[in-house]
Amino acid sequence: MSDQNKTVLSPKTDTRKTEVNKGILLFNRMGIWVITIALLILGTIIAAANGGHFFDKSNIQSILEAVALYGMVAAGLFYVTYSGNWTDMSIPLTMAMAGMLTVQSINLGFPVALLIGIATGLAIGMINGFMIGHLRANPIIWSWGFNLLLSGIIRVGWGGKQLYADTVAKQTDFAQHSAQTFYSISRTYIGGIISLMAIVMLCMFVLSYIIHAKTSFGQKLKLVGSNYEAARFSGINCQKIVMMGYMISSTFAAVGGIFYTALRKTASYENGTGYDFTCLTCVLLGGTLLSGGKGSVLGTFGGVLAYGILNNILSWIGIGTYTKYAVQGMVFLLIVFINTYTERKLGRS
Amino acid sequence: MKRRTTLVLTGVLAAALTVPALADNLEDSKAKFEEAVQSVMTTDNHLMMEEGITFDIPEAQGTAEELEELDDSNSAKWHYYEYIDWDESEDAEFPASPADGSIGKHVISIVHGAHAWTTCYMEAFEQACEAVGMTVDIYDPNWDQSVQDGYIDQAINEGPDAIAVIPLSADHARQQFKNITDAGIPAFCTNTTPAADAMNYILAYTGPNDWYQMRNLGAALGEKLGGKGGVAYITHNVGGSPYYARLYGPMTELADKYPDIKTLDIQSPGFEAAAVKQVVSDWITKFGDELNAIVLADDSDQAIGTAEAIEAAGRDDIIVVAAGISKQGAELIQAGKLYMASYQSCQADAGLCVRTIAQFFNGEEIPRVSYIKTDLINQENVESFLPCQW
Repeated sequence: MSDQNKTVLSPKTDTRKTEVNKGILLFNRMGIWVITIALLILGTIIAAANGGHFFDKSNIQSILEAVALYGMVAAGLFYVTYSGNWTDMSIPLTMAMAGMLTVQSINLGFPVALLIGIATGLAIGMINGFMIGHLRANPIIWSWGFNLLLSGIIRVGWGGKQLYADTVAKQTDFAQHSAQTFYSISRTYIGGIISLMAIVMLCMFVLSYIIHAKTSFGQKLKLVGSNYEAARFSGINCQKIVMMGYMISSTFAAVGGIFYTALRKTASYENGTGYDFTCLTCVLLGGTLLSGGKGSVLGTFGGVLAYGILNNILSWIGIGTYTKYAVQGMVFLLIVFINTYTERKLGRS
Repeated sequence: MKRRTTLVLTGVLAAALTVPALADNLEDSKAKFEEAVQSVMTTDNHLMMEEGITFDIPEAQGTAEELEELDDSNSAKWHYYEYIDWDESEDAEFPASPADGSIGKHVISIVHGAHAWTTCYMEAFEQACEAVGMTVDIYDPNWDQSVQDGYIDQAINEGPDAIAVIPLSADHARQQFKNITDAGIPAFCTNTTPAADAMNYILAYTGPNDWYQMRNLGAALGEKLGGKGGVAYITHNVGGSPYYARLYGPMTELADKYPDIKTLDIQSPGFEAAAVKQVVSDWITKFGDELNAIVLADDSDQAIGTAEAIEAAGRDDIIVVAAGISKQGAELIQAGKLYMASYQSCQADAGLCVRTIAQFFNGEEIPRVSYIKTDLINQENVESFLPCQW
């Protein structure tokens, strides 16, 4: 064989670009945290310009408290989105129902009432999970319809009225003490520094992180969210996995609903209004794909923090409500753009 | 001929029987009305169907366009927001009173949407109607403008003796009331202030005088502050009539009487306690000792969020006033966390509307605009407004 022939038969060189832009990779890996750090720096500058300290104890306290309720719900809602079922539209009435039943059962004592409230969320999650996981109902249509049903049940069941724990509680020391303990959970500061609500939110994120990253359920959920059929053929019980995702989400929402009710001292069907979209925004800001299979609990936490920090910065600037909405919208769109852009550049979307 | 005579005799007999019956019904209705006004009470032990407050509208200091150019803190700017200053010469032809008594009349009430306040209002409306011998059907469009429009068409088709509406939108109210009045049905507007041109199709408006009560609240706050300090405002939903009344009512009052009091900020975080708490916490961090008072458009969730933020910051020197009155607000007043709230009775709101409708059927002259009575509630008198209505 001549040298000339060797040249002709040698394999072609792959000239396609395989280098990854480090900036894009950094953005993709760090995701929302890059934005969060940028917001922290911006906040420090703006606060200093206004003669204040961004990292002042009271300011950090304010940010954490403001996002505590959103965080509790988003930490659970992450599982629904991650499982490829977009979102849970029954979040608001899950929160409301948990609050109503907690207050309604306050005469049984605070711990029992609390458990009843949490169990309410678990039950709602089981129903949602069964219908969407097992029967493959459309997640949006079903959860929206279920939200409507729960709304009707509450309105009919309690005659369209609000419930107050101290009014529902009988005039006994035990019942009244239960009611006051219930109210206090959203007003307790540990060591006079950090609120119980913020601590509970952090604990729920830690729990959510462990479930997602350290259990076989978390691994299976990733497969189910990425490719449902492939996961099914791999022997994963997809129906059970989706159902568990909904149960976690609704239980976390119920905890958020109980704290929400305690904070406003009122159980009502309107509690939780808007939490479905705000919490989904936080989940998506954290880099979770609406189509499922990609995202992290840490990212969701970052999304929640970014939401709170941005609101805080806008208050420091002192701009009006309309402008605030516009700036919030622009920042959120920017984050979604960065997430989508880096995914595409890395060939993952 | 015999048949015609029989018919004429029957007609005369029927008329002879009907006229005294109508006269009896009117007398009975008037008696029932007087009894209802004296005896029907709100759940916080006030008369539910008291006579409303009326007054002459002061003259505007310019056209609406000219007044828009004025500064926000100038009370003259808000004339057309504050007063339903419509042109009576353009009034539609309203149906005349049958003057045959309220007993047996059927009213359709269309509210704005589901809320604990609305539940309280509806119950009071039913109670007041029953007290004057009227029946009522209440439709709830659940905050949906198109559903409310549909209910108005449905109500017109049902042909009741009167229709009362809480309009969802002031601007949209004109067409709604025009449809009712054009159908020959007496139209009553209640609770929410309509746009001025809608009044040309409204037989009577009854409801709270938000501007008046918020001006009073502003004056009381100015006095408490000793005429100086910084005030921040949390508003109602942007654009609605309570937004203007509960923000610019106290602001203009303070600017008129206490020019040394300055406005620090205005925010509209809505009615979620956690969101309000963040705004107030941020204000405390940002303004520090400059923040001396906060005016709230709501004494429930907004007041709770504010009180929590103030407590967390250890700033018990900040004076908070709010439009009210809810159970949460009353408890905050008792606890000393809310200095003062305005009293706006939900049940009297319904009672005044029913009172006006009944007076119309009884052939009495009714005011085109009348307001429910109001008061300022503080730690000294809060007990007389308990238990709260909703």
